[in-house]
Amino acid sequence: MTPEFISGGPALLMKNTCRLLVIADAHFGAESGFSRKGVHIASNSRERLRRICSCIDETDPDMLLFLGDLKHSVPLMSHQEFAELPQILDTIRKKIPFRLIPGNHDGGIERFLEPEELLPKRGALIDGTWYVHGHMHLPPESVGNLIVCGHHHPVVSLYDEVGCSLRAQPAYLLAEIDEECAGLALHENGRSTRILFMPAFFEYAGGLDVRIIHASKLSPVSRCFDAENAEVFLGDGTYIDRLGRLIKNARA
Amino acid sequence: MPARNLLSPEIQATLLKRNFLELSLTQQKAIPPIMEGKHLLLIAPTGTGKTESAMLPVFDRLIHLPGSGFKALYITPLRALNRDILFRLQWWCHELGLSVGVRHGDTSQYERRKQALNPPDLLITTPETLQALFIGKRLREHLPQVRYVIIDEIHELAGSKRGAQLSIALERLAEYAGEFQRIGLSATVGNPEEVASFLTGKDRPHAIVNIPAAPHMDISVRFAGEDFDSQVRAVERCIDHDKSSLLFVNTRSTAEALGHRLYERGDVEVHHGSLSKEVRIDAEDRFKQGKIRSLICTSSMELGIDIGHIERVIQFGSPREVSRLLQRVGRAGHRLDTVSHGTILATGFDDLCESLVITRKAKQNESEDVSIIHGALDVLANQIAALLVEYGEITIGRVTAIIQRAYGFYDCGAVPEVCGQMAEHRLIRMEGNLLTRTGRCRTYLYGNLSMIPDEKKVQIFDLVSRRPVGTLDESFVIGWINTGATFIVKGQLWQVVDLDDGKIIVEPAHSATGELPSWEGEQIPVPFAVAQETGRLRRTHAFAAYGAGALSETYADDIISSMEDSGAPVASDNLVTLEHFDDGVVMNICGGHKANEALSRVLSILLTARYGSSVGIEVGAYRIVFRLPSGIRAGDLRDLLYSVDPAHIEGLLRLAMKRTALFKYKIVQIAKKFGAIDQQADYERISIHRLLETFEDTSIQTETYRELFTTIMDVKEAARLVQQIQSGETEVVIAPLSAIGREGLSSSRDIIPPPSADQAIIAAVKRRIEDDNILLFCMNCRKWKSLTKVSRVSEQPQCPKCGARLVAALKPWEDELIPTVKKKQKTNEEKATERRFMKNANIVLSSGRQAVVALAARGVGPENASRIIARMCDGDDFYREILKAERNYIKTHRFW
Repeated sequence: MTPEFISGGPALLMKNTCRLLVIADAHFGAESGFSRKGVHIASNSRERLRRICSCIDETDPDMLLFLGDLKHSVPLMSHQEFAELPQILDTIRKKIPFRLIPGNHDGGIERFLEPEELLPKRGALIDGTWYVHGHMHLPPESVGNLIVCGHHHPVVSLYDEVGCSLRAQPAYLLAEIDEECAGLALHENGRSTRILFMPAFFEYAGGLDVRIIHASKLSPVSRCFDAENAEVFLGDGTYIDRLGRLIKNARA
Repeated sequence: MPARNLLSPEIQATLLKRNFLELSLTQQKAIPPIMEGKHLLLIAPTGTGKTESAMLPVFDRLIHLPGSGFKALYITPLRALNRDILFRLQWWCHELGLSVGVRHGDTSQYERRKQALNPPDLLITTPETLQALFIGKRLREHLPQVRYVIIDEIHELAGSKRGAQLSIALERLAEYAGEFQRIGLSATVGNPEEVASFLTGKDRPHAIVNIPAAPHMDISVRFAGEDFDSQVRAVERCIDHDKSSLLFVNTRSTAEALGHRLYERGDVEVHHGSLSKEVRIDAEDRFKQGKIRSLICTSSMELGIDIGHIERVIQFGSPREVSRLLQRVGRAGHRLDTVSHGTILATGFDDLCESLVITRKAKQNESEDVSIIHGALDVLANQIAALLVEYGEITIGRVTAIIQRAYGFYDCGAVPEVCGQMAEHRLIRMEGNLLTRTGRCRTYLYGNLSMIPDEKKVQIFDLVSRRPVGTLDESFVIGWINTGATFIVKGQLWQVVDLDDGKIIVEPAHSATGELPSWEGEQIPVPFAVAQETGRLRRTHAFAAYGAGALSETYADDIISSMEDSGAPVASDNLVTLEHFDDGVVMNICGGHKANEALSRVLSILLTARYGSSVGIEVGAYRIVFRLPSGIRAGDLRDLLYSVDPAHIEGLLRLAMKRTALFKYKIVQIAKKFGAIDQQADYERISIHRLLETFEDTSIQTETYRELFTTIMDVKEAARLVQQIQSGETEVVIAPLSAIGREGLSSSRDIIPPPSADQAIIAAVKRRIEDDNILLFCMNCRKWKSLTKVSRVSEQPQCPKCGARLVAALKPWEDELIPTVKKKQKTNEEKATERRFMKNANIVLSSGRQAVVALAARGVGPENASRIIARMCDGDDFYREILKAERNYIKTHRFW
């Protein structure tokens, strides 16, 4: 398969036997969540939906896959979500079939979905790639595959001689999984398991610097990859550097 | 007719009882216009009976005024002052059968309830508590009776947002009470007319009585030594000289440091705003009783709190402003007919020169203007919310009519826009012209009765020494502090280890540059005029003429002559020097804080745009430190000074300030005052940068710029500095680092990142490739190979063995293929490798180092490399081509 990095997302277009558009962590309804925490801004859902639609138009996929955290409020559904989600999902449905692998923020979303649109929480193998939200232990059958996950909202900041030259850009992190740490058996054919952390689609995501994902304890997988040789890419696929070197440079 | 005879017999009798045999000059001049019912601004030194000047005629009217309700409001900026005024006025009120009360944050519930049921004739209060009077229904009923409003220490309020808020509150009061008489009491200011307009609003006539302070001042400047020990000794000598003294310092930390050293004496106490009320009152009382000889205090003591007789005011370090010096020294003596004695203890060369200049100006009564704030939109939002809580619903037209009566808003047409913004964050609702409040409106108002930014302080905790090392404002922290970040506090570099429970856990860091800016409180800026005259003094060496004593003069002369001996030019009012140091360039320029702040930012913005790298700045009144990447030299800065168009400074700043820490810090503060962000908001996992983008082109952003361009930066003066340079009036020279350039800095620190993300990315990728390993292999003799970093490769690599330039630049893993290329007999596959290596070497032969860079990139082989080079682009475009090739490779060839 070949991936295409869609910078207008960030989103991924995975091309193999079919074209699959992947979007992680859209967090519809987050604004009312912010409001409860004391930050009051208007809903940006319409703009976020417009971005989804333009990613669809740009890539002409066969299907859209939401990689979890399509909505925001937990444990209760917010008023904003009740009001907005049905229409958002309808708009997408009219353009293209979609699936959701639920994340930790998706409790209760079933009521807005058709049965076939909801995939299992543990993840799913689609067209040769394993997809999962990323907040739980990896299931045994994911081993030996490329795993694409969301949940971690990775970002990268760039530094030059004087200081920080670019702050918190959405970033992809590609790494080898340490199977033992992740509680997986080795693949029977010795195929390695790789994981691609996707940045959040949601524009207000604070993000976790790629340099600290490994120490973050944000998920069972976050500490189970080879950080030294992991590779960091920007939203448009620009290769920045090996994670090991980024960490070393930040300390220098 | 003498003023006294204007007063009614009851008042005259009370005067006699109080032993007021003679009225002071201030009272003589102020009483007649007040008796005539005029709005009056009374400017007079502290301790000349200002309060009585205003209150005697007011009492005169109050005793004849029937009915109940608040009849006069006496507003002061400080609770401590309220207590003092109450103490002074109680006697009069008692004698005259008037009731008086005080109401502010410290007032007990019992007292508050009593006032609500049975309002005193005279209420002493603060601007913030005045706001609260409009909220309660019962209190509101007492407002229509108000006939007099006295604002004490009005100079302290007029230039601040507190004052802007108060001026609207007075207009809201007028909605209930109709027109009332306004009396403002002020210390010396440079612009009495404007301060009077602030008092009365645009259209009401006013009178001004101005009693100058300066003739009664005796101020001397003494050099106290450069190290803290000798400064402490100088302070002690000063304290010992007089029976009672106030020791003014500029910051709380200085107060603490001096207090720490002087406590042992047993006759010195510290007094500042962070201490509890009890501790402060205790210190005041003991001073009054003569149990302590000296009180170390900050600006809170400037105001007229009565603490008994003060023989001398000692000012530790330059007072920075003329008006501040006058006000502080005015605390000594406390009678118009006695002279106020003041001594400034200067703590360094800049400090000494500046103190001499400020003293000269003080003697000539050249006080600074109080700059009245015009159109503060956060204040407007605050008062719109207040009006809605007060009335439930109100039209935009009525709001506009009310606020435009206040001087600071007379031409303000921003009400609809501000209302739109408030509706956006659900503080109010807006239907056509009618505004109504939401549930959140009242909560917001209770949390925002004050316009003083109520900053949560975040503690910085050192993991290694297990000690707190300081605090940062929360508005600053949320935008800038993340794990792994480094920043400078108190001159030391720290790295953030963790953010925990509102604490920043740090450890000492060792890198040379701080990534993050830091903000050490809001300092008193040195005005442009003071900084320029200080520069002139450096040039004329007229230290003696400025009244420097022998010791001070010798010290200053020594500094100047040691500079001259080493051939170092001395920066002055007509000379700017640029001095190299390890991390960049120091620009010595006597522009004062605000002009230097603007200039430093404009120059950094231009540098980042031109060189695509970040620039760090530290700004003081007499110098700007630029932290620069190694490629930028003093000459580049000089070229910019000559080429920047002074007329474009503001425009450039407007465009580029958005990227800076200062802007983000301010916009968070202002969004809070607008009610868009709650005081106690939890920002965890929200991108504050993206969040702030939603304020783009809103009144929140407008207000942020307004504040930056008035309180932090002065574009006009910065443009003047640039004009002086470009007209040749001011010379610019490049010099080695001098004693003056090395002096400490104060004020702000910031990092200006490059304008486009693109530049930052290219720089990062360039750095990655330069740091990559490359294997050089001679395709001519095939005997030499060398593994090296791209950064060490010369312009045209050459084989040291055979001297040929046919050198292939290979990826390190291609090392294993070299033996096959050396073989005599080759398989087809091996021949292909050889052809590939040969092609590689040929590209290096024709394009040199550029080819090596391209060949080091991820997934770029000879084919791609020659395509990239064939595009014949250089600089950033060359790297853009490399990035494109890498992206393509990653998409199609790797991993998947």
